[in-house]
Amino acid sequence: MSGITPDISDFATKDNQIGHEELTFGKWLGNIGHAVRTCFKGLMITGRYIVAVKPVTIEYPEVREELPSNSRSRLFNDVDNCISCLQCAASCPVDCIYITATRRDKEAPKLKTDDGTPIKLDLNQYTIDTALCCYCGLCTTVCPTECLTHTVDYEFAQYTLSEMKYDYLAEDIRAWKHRVVK
Amino acid sequence: MIEINGKEISDLTDLQDEKMKSDLLTLNMGPQHPATHGVLRVEIKTDSEVIAEAKPYLGYLHRCFEKHAESIDYRGIVPFVDRMDYLGAMGMEWGYAVTVEEMLGTEVPRRAQYIRTIVGELQRIASHLLFYGVYAIDLGAFSPFLYAFEEREKILRFFEEMSGARLLYNYIWIGGVWNDITDDQLVRISKFIENLDEELKKFHALVGENKIFIGRTANVATVSEEMAYSFGATGPVLRGSGVDWDLRKKRPYGIYEELDFDVHVGKGEKGTVGDCWDRYQVRVLEMHESIKILRQCLDGIEEGSIMGKVPKVLKVPEGEIYMRTECPRGELGYHLVSDGGKTPYRLKVKSSCFTHVSMLPALAPGQLIADFVATIGSIDIVLGEVDR
Repeated sequence: MSGITPDISDFATKDNQIGHEELTFGKWLGNIGHAVRTCFKGLMITGRYIVAVKPVTIEYPEVREELPSNSRSRLFNDVDNCISCLQCAASCPVDCIYITATRRDKEAPKLKTDDGTPIKLDLNQYTIDTALCCYCGLCTTVCPTECLTHTVDYEFAQYTLSEMKYDYLAEDIRAWKHRVVK
Repeated sequence: MIEINGKEISDLTDLQDEKMKSDLLTLNMGPQHPATHGVLRVEIKTDSEVIAEAKPYLGYLHRCFEKHAESIDYRGIVPFVDRMDYLGAMGMEWGYAVTVEEMLGTEVPRRAQYIRTIVGELQRIASHLLFYGVYAIDLGAFSPFLYAFEEREKILRFFEEMSGARLLYNYIWIGGVWNDITDDQLVRISKFIENLDEELKKFHALVGENKIFIGRTANVATVSEEMAYSFGATGPVLRGSGVDWDLRKKRPYGIYEELDFDVHVGKGEKGTVGDCWDRYQVRVLEMHESIKILRQCLDGIEEGSIMGKVPKVLKVPEGEIYMRTECPRGELGYHLVSDGGKTPYRLKVKSSCFTHVSMLPALAPGQLIADFVATIGSIDIVLGEVDR
């Protein structure tokens, strides 16, 4: 060996992979005996699984697994409680939250969220590209009114990428509120 | 004029001639090959069953982590480091958190340190259980994989309850951890590890002591101490070669200083020191040590807060640092350079899997193809960490 960088030829020439010690008849018999013994031991262990161990597989479409309550699955934003503070969009590491908001008219009736925060901005667009989302959960932790949450809904495959863009102001997605949020 | 492998070739027929003259058969193993554990392509030149040369090609899973990190704030990088070693993500997060905390000078609360150790060691067990199962598949045994996954799934369930995700947790944050651990969870973890000791002994009897397994792994791909040092091997690969080196003991971080555990090294029980069987055994014994550590943590866990004092807008002072931690697959190093801004100036990752892949060309010559599969399995690489 010379130098710090390893030279492959220093090691590759070593004939340590092939080449066995001489096999005598006694050793051959001993090998077979050892193999039969250890394999039988293994079969006893696997055999126990046939009779004594209950199956753990969940038969998916028939039986649906219930995820733990703080599982991070599909995002849901309750737009009625959103104050358009943009903190979620700022904290998102993949920039998949698109928000547009305009200042609320002074004459318009005063709105408040469920926890009493006044809504000063009108939310015009709240879209999350779920296909880009990495489900890290950073957006939900910064949300001051707790309107953006992860739900435990995990079946939302779509045929096209554009269908993965959720517009949370749309009527059909607003209706999730009663389905997924407890 | 075409240039191939540094040679200028005027005509394609010349190239064909050159290929025809060789007696060796060029074979591509991967990128989609179940035995390469991800998207690793190894170009092997074989003389019938015997490998003459192996050349790994990387980059199929490259995601420009280093460049991305330069434009994301320090908290936002955590989900990205998860995706490097997706089978041992807690280790990745812990290493990153330790690096930034060292720069900030943050003191992590005792309870958070305990939780970190608990999840870190559970992750080590989960990762080694996966190695155990997949290695058995590599060598032609299927049932051990299912048994190991049953146990691993229980650990992932704990993680899902704590963090919300099964694999990419984003749980260990800069300054502490995200969610607190409940007493109920602690009780269930201690119940789980009570049974695990027995299960692991059963697993070892099923695979490790089997004559066929010994025949496939003993004396295969021997990594000598000198070779392990010169290639920069770390983790179970280095310990399998008989070197007593574990960062948790030698350069303790977190609360490892206060914990009592042993470091196991390869002894060459079934063949030579540093063969595939030794690396397998080191990992199995490490799981028992992790259980030992978990018991101490579950007994000693303290009440208190789980988040240290970290400013809301995170700005790391100017300077640079290199921190390394012991992950399930080896040492993980972060080299962080900061210019005082909200994002790192540079964040370079030194991954153990990358160094281990570089050992393949030295280990392969003279091996049978089937043994080469055992070799790749025994160094336990995750391509997400190799390519980053």
